[in-house]
Amino acid sequence: MVSTRILAVAGLVICAALIAGCFTPSPAKSMVTLVLAKGTGPMPTLLGTGQIDGYIAWQPFVEVAPLAGIGKVVVYSQDLPPAGRWVNHPCCVFTARDDVLAGNPDLVNALAAVTILSTDYVNAHPDESAEIVADWLAGKGNFTYGNISVSSVKVLQQAIPTVRFTNEPTEKWMDGNLEFVYALRELGAITGSLTNTTDDQTRALLFSTAPYYKARSMIDNHSFVVPATADKEMGIGYLNSDHDAALFVAVKKWQYFNNTYGIALVPRDTSASRPELADLVVNGKKVATFRLIPGDAGPQLMQMIATDTAKFAYVGNPPTIAAVDKNTPVKIIMALNTEGSGLVVSNDSPATNWTGFVQWAKDRSAQGRPIKIADPGKGSIQDIMIRYALEESGLSFSEG
Amino acid sequence: MRPLRILLPILLVVGWEVAAALINNPFILPSLTTVIPVLAHPFSTEYTLGSGSLVENAAISLGRVTIGFFMAAIVAIPLGIVMGRSPWLRDFLDSTVELLRPIPPLAWVPLSLAWFKIGMASMAFIIFIGAFFPILLNTIDGVKSIKLTWIEVATTLGARERQVLSKVILPGSLPTIWTGLRVGFGIAWMCVVAAEWMPGTTRGLGYLILYAYNFGQTNVIIAGMVVIGVIGILIDFLFKSIESRWFFWRGLER
Amino acid sequence: MTLIIRDLAKSFATEGKPPVEALASLNLEVLDHEFVSVLGPSGCGKTTLLRIVAGLETATSGTVELDGGAVTRPCPRMAMIFQEYSLYPWRNVLDNIAFGLEVKGEPAAERRKVAAQYLDLVSLADFAYHYPYELSGGMRQRVAVARALAIEPQILLMDEPFGALDAQTRNMLQKELLAIWEKTRKTILFVTHSVDEAVYLSDRIVVLSARPGRVRDVVSIDLPRPRDRTSPGFAAIRRYVLDLIEDAAKGQ
Repeated sequence: MVSTRILAVAGLVICAALIAGCFTPSPAKSMVTLVLAKGTGPMPTLLGTGQIDGYIAWQPFVEVAPLAGIGKVVVYSQDLPPAGRWVNHPCCVFTARDDVLAGNPDLVNALAAVTILSTDYVNAHPDESAEIVADWLAGKGNFTYGNISVSSVKVLQQAIPTVRFTNEPTEKWMDGNLEFVYALRELGAITGSLTNTTDDQTRALLFSTAPYYKARSMIDNHSFVVPATADKEMGIGYLNSDHDAALFVAVKKWQYFNNTYGIALVPRDTSASRPELADLVVNGKKVATFRLIPGDAGPQLMQMIATDTAKFAYVGNPPTIAAVDKNTPVKIIMALNTEGSGLVVSNDSPATNWTGFVQWAKDRSAQGRPIKIADPGKGSIQDIMIRYALEESGLSFSEG
Repeated sequence: MRPLRILLPILLVVGWEVAAALINNPFILPSLTTVIPVLAHPFSTEYTLGSGSLVENAAISLGRVTIGFFMAAIVAIPLGIVMGRSPWLRDFLDSTVELLRPIPPLAWVPLSLAWFKIGMASMAFIIFIGAFFPILLNTIDGVKSIKLTWIEVATTLGARERQVLSKVILPGSLPTIWTGLRVGFGIAWMCVVAAEWMPGTTRGLGYLILYAYNFGQTNVIIAGMVVIGVIGILIDFLFKSIESRWFFWRGLER
Repeated sequence: MTLIIRDLAKSFATEGKPPVEALASLNLEVLDHEFVSVLGPSGCGKTTLLRIVAGLETATSGTVELDGGAVTRPCPRMAMIFQEYSLYPWRNVLDNIAFGLEVKGEPAAERRKVAAQYLDLVSLADFAYHYPYELSGGMRQRVAVARALAIEPQILLMDEPFGALDAQTRNMLQKELLAIWEKTRKTILFVTHSVDEAVYLSDRIVVLSARPGRVRDVVSIDLPRPRDRTSPGFAAIRRYVLDLIEDAAKGQ
């Protein structure tokens, strides 16, 4: 019967495919497995349960590991190879949508000014700022990892000094951003408008630094231009990280900034650990209402920008670059911080620095148990840096 | 409460602590001693990473679910009654309903955000989707199972169409509709966690769990889960006790 | 009051098959205060006939006239009592009986008073606040009768009302029905399978032919009530009617 014949042939083909699959030689095993997480939250737990051997993340998740006794810091991001490439590497940036840059530049300048003043404050008062960030992120409560509880204040006080808070969009800083563009190109993550641009063209597409200079001059002259009142509430996207400390300190220390400079981000609920709404007040006049929207990671913040859910974002630069590449109408205005990430490994690893880490990876790979390192997602700063570092050190890697 | 009913939960709690002690890796199975302080201070914000107290978050989540649930009921019950009465309308809408029904509410999140922007509306929509289908299908079922004799009794005693609806169809199908509401609320309550994972809120049990996850605070996650479970059971109990009071006659008709 | 059924015919359309003729040129006249039973072989259309008279179905041709006015839909001058599942389980006994009055718009106190009277008539005064599920089958049918009577119809249409009950309850309810009939002087059109029941209750028995149903014979019963089931007169009539039905079943 025809139908039984067809069945028989089909069966043979399936069997053949299965057998072929069993005997296909597998590709050469790589020496390190990169586990792409979605954000840093689960990383300490993964390390603690032995599902990963280490992770690279932004603060304060780096300090959490030693303080909770689940791991140790091997190297901070600026010291990753290639030597000297990442010193003072850009990390988080202050961005704004094209429409608000064009439509209400005074507002952008004012918000930039608040951010700059706040950044200066963080640099001048690191311990107090750490407390504010601990309040914002964790209500000053404890972080509990397993049986160990550490005070969030303590974690942040240890983390803040490893982050460099700075705003000025210097030439060197802009070049640092371009390094990420090259890296993303090499990763194949750039396929749109930034694919073949020259450096000058890239800069034009990425940056709009005028607000920084206007803000700086307003601060230096002690005189702030009152922007036109914005009629609709605007969103500011931010990350739950101490890299956005400037925003948190600006909101929490609003009285100080208001009294000292006459410009402040006043939270509607002054008792909340993590206010949702804040009004921008310039010279006593309320000029805009902002909804402070936390995002899990950079790409989500850029999605908010793209859908006009947020007009501003305190975010990492690679997601911004990727967004500009996809024609999202956003510009980088200035820096928020540089450095501030680190590589953590489990306590029983022999590595105490990068060289030791490389050796450890080679040893484990030779044993047939390549190490697993988690990073916060493809295209993130930490992801790019670890890939480069591994390559530089002759370690092959694959995603797993 | 019969003692057998709480036996298993108690056994589970004991078993948990024993297993946690044996496994001795607090990341795999945290000891309940880290979870209990969170639960023991439901009005404090100290244990919830600055996200508001457990009670506050529970109240906000309950409020959201109730709103989405009511919206679903307001749409699904009348639609269900009309569909239950009208075979051609059922034929007309059936394939669409059956197509949409299996899509999990979570899958609607991207569209919800695009259509309703971030905020209460997009969350209410997810909850609406969750509650809608059980309520609709149970209403249709309840109406379809109304005995023809009941309707004919009414018409022969002089009832007009509207009176048949209000005095026979509605009271007769109410027990089945009530089951739909109970199931619908249960699903809506599950959806609130998914709904609160969308950006646009910094309050709610779902948000609390997600936030705690982002900081790896398993004890807060488990505390949140416990609260969700307890509230779910209490509400189900509420529905069931009303059912036994109002609908004692169900299934006994002859 | 006269109920005149003239040349009644009813066909049911069936998918893909020729239509089923349930009734064909059926003629019948029911007079005031009469107790008329309708009997016939299986499938002869007696229930269909009753439903058309009640206005629950429409005839394909022919007419039903109540006092000269055509009956095309349910009207409160005729009340129907079904075999089972007719009481509303979510209403107590009193509110079930009061249903027809509620539909008419009577205020609560009023209609409950009237309902109580009819509850009394069927000897269930103690059960006003009970629910249907608490009652036996026989009690439920008595409530159904009270409910029908509460709207004070002229005609009671009864579709095998005692068919689901056991023999003892059945006999008891037959006696009660007669008592109520004699007291309230209603006209009753009664469909049944049971020849015994029909002979016990009726003034006249209408025997329908096999499908399509038409009136084959009408038997008048002059026996005085209460009728003795064991009497020869009773047995003779019963034999006679049984034979009629058997013949009808054979198509003669």
